[in-house]
Amino acid sequence: MKLKILWMYHDLMDLYGDKGNIQVLKTRCFERGIECEVKTVSLGESVDCREYDLFFMGGGADLEQTIIYEDLYARKNNIMEAMDSGTNFLLICGGYQLFGQYYLDQDHKKIDGLGIYDYYTESTDRDHRCIGNIAVEVTVGQETFKAVGFENHGGQTKNVRTPFAKVLKGHGNEFKSHYEGFMNQQVIGTYMHGPLLPKNPKLADLLIRRSLHKRYGDVVLQELDDTLEDKAREVMLKRLGV
Amino acid sequence: MDIRLSIVKLAHKILASQGRGGSFPGQLALMMDKDFIRRFTMPEQVILVTGTNGKTTTSNLIAESLRKAGLTVLNNHRGDNLNVGIAALLATGSDSSYHIQADAAVIEVDELTVYRQFDALKPTGLVVTNFFRDQLDRAGEMETIIRKIMEVTENFTGDLYLNGDDPNVLRIADNAKKARIHLFSMAKLKDSMITTDEASEGKFCPRCGKPLHYDYFQYSHIGRFLCPYDGFGSITPEILVKDVSYTNQSFEAEGRVFHSYINAVYAIYNCAAVLCVMKNLGLDLSCADDVFRHYQLKEGRNETFALSQPCVINLFKNPTGANEVMKDILSRPGRKNLCIVLNDNDQDGHDVSWIWDAHFERLNDPEVNEILCTGQRAYDMALRLKYEGLKDRIKVIESTEEAVHYLNTANLNSYVMATYTALHSTRALLRKEAGK
Repeated sequence: MKLKILWMYHDLMDLYGDKGNIQVLKTRCFERGIECEVKTVSLGESVDCREYDLFFMGGGADLEQTIIYEDLYARKNNIMEAMDSGTNFLLICGGYQLFGQYYLDQDHKKIDGLGIYDYYTESTDRDHRCIGNIAVEVTVGQETFKAVGFENHGGQTKNVRTPFAKVLKGHGNEFKSHYEGFMNQQVIGTYMHGPLLPKNPKLADLLIRRSLHKRYGDVVLQELDDTLEDKAREVMLKRLGV
Repeated sequence: MDIRLSIVKLAHKILASQGRGGSFPGQLALMMDKDFIRRFTMPEQVILVTGTNGKTTTSNLIAESLRKAGLTVLNNHRGDNLNVGIAALLATGSDSSYHIQADAAVIEVDELTVYRQFDALKPTGLVVTNFFRDQLDRAGEMETIIRKIMEVTENFTGDLYLNGDDPNVLRIADNAKKARIHLFSMAKLKDSMITTDEASEGKFCPRCGKPLHYDYFQYSHIGRFLCPYDGFGSITPEILVKDVSYTNQSFEAEGRVFHSYINAVYAIYNCAAVLCVMKNLGLDLSCADDVFRHYQLKEGRNETFALSQPCVINLFKNPTGANEVMKDILSRPGRKNLCIVLNDNDQDGHDVSWIWDAHFERLNDPEVNEILCTGQRAYDMALRLKYEGLKDRIKVIESTEEAVHYLNTANLNSYVMATYTALHSTRALLRKEAGK
């Protein structure tokens, strides 16, 4: 079995340790004897997104977001085809925003999103951002679990119909909002850095299972020793009083 | 005579007589008078020092070099670089009518505070060392800091001393049309790198947004860059360092040899900044060399404690700093234990994700025996190492006191890396442990 990950704009959209997510996915596959291929693609490099099981894109500052935007837009059809082919998507922060209708940045410059989903994002000024540790509750199928991360965004994302998680502590999509991110069968979009996956191994495994589903159907993953992961998460949950 | 100034000076005097410093006098000053910092008649030379790394050392080296050249200098040598620290510094350095009693003030200013206090401090010069990712949760984004500094220097008519090898710093020169620009730079060295995995910033030309081309990197994204489209990065430095010798701990500039206070490329950049200031002020560069030769690093910077085997402690606060400290640790021969103290208080930054941007995979070295993880985010640190295949060498010890004791009993050379708020408490524990 092999997990094929496409890491878009690894050199540009890489704020707040988002690269750690890739590290976690690779390691958790490796420990289970699942081969894991990570392909990095940046500006002007050609790739067929359909060939990959997981499309990953991290966050970037306004400047980077403006730089990659045209390149990303040129790939829109291919991205839609990849969705149709069953590819999974993990989109953090800027990546999440760019899949919506538009992003209005801190200088009131409007960047059109890919427009794949209905949500849109408007930035506040430079001095007001949603910053801090965040705890959420994720429900997938029959399973509900808590996850922690760190959010740091000026963007206020509105009109999200199917959020990723319920906010237990922190802001989420907007200041003091009750919901965080966006999720459907194939896509998780979220403001949660930290990075997201190291302290949330259930989420990491969910992504691995959903991604492998594209080519292998339902996969049962072998249990791993997550003592450190659980402990790190519990320390934060306890501190946040959740 | 202003009663508020007298109260602040008195508060400082009482605390100092009890051997206490602290931020209280500065807090008091700003509470009574929000324009407190603005009221002072500043000396002839007011040099502010800001940037991500090297602020404290560089401002101390400048202050000491000016003193060596015969000037009286006011300097926040302990690195109290926020509003309250600066207010307290000015109060203690002035007479009762807000006149600073010195020939020069050399003030380290936090990179977020600098744009707020720039006009109030009436600077004649500004030194900018570098910009790296640092405590981003506090800063928002590095881009914000740079833009704000560019705003306050837009009409500045004084001297800008800038690191010409950092595109994020050189940007300031582009925008400051009225200032006198003085650049320091470093020529290609034997161990300059052609490619790097350390550079997260400085990839794009700030003028045209196209990728910058680098001839070589010295460390992180610091090096010789050029935009092939518009020439950004084509510079004429006033201080050009060349021929660095790590054997003699020396470097060449201005046609002579200087000693460096430590054997590291980032330290030589700090020296270059000092020489740039000295040269422009027409002062004898030998004074700076004398200071470099005898400078004692601040406590907690490469400081050694006599445990059963020597234990060296260093501050680490951002990916670039962590990478440089690790390079130094791994360059030292012999088996060793490491201890990483990771806190996430205000001054450390609440967001510890930056540890994922640092190259901890380098600790996969056969000479690294055990890595103790402690501090408020001990488990986050342990996870970071676990995902670099270091699982078998990690040991989480929540209590830093116990971790320090463990280092002592292990009877191996050891190296401690501590974040800002953990540094002094860990030093105290090491001192206690060394005295046992």
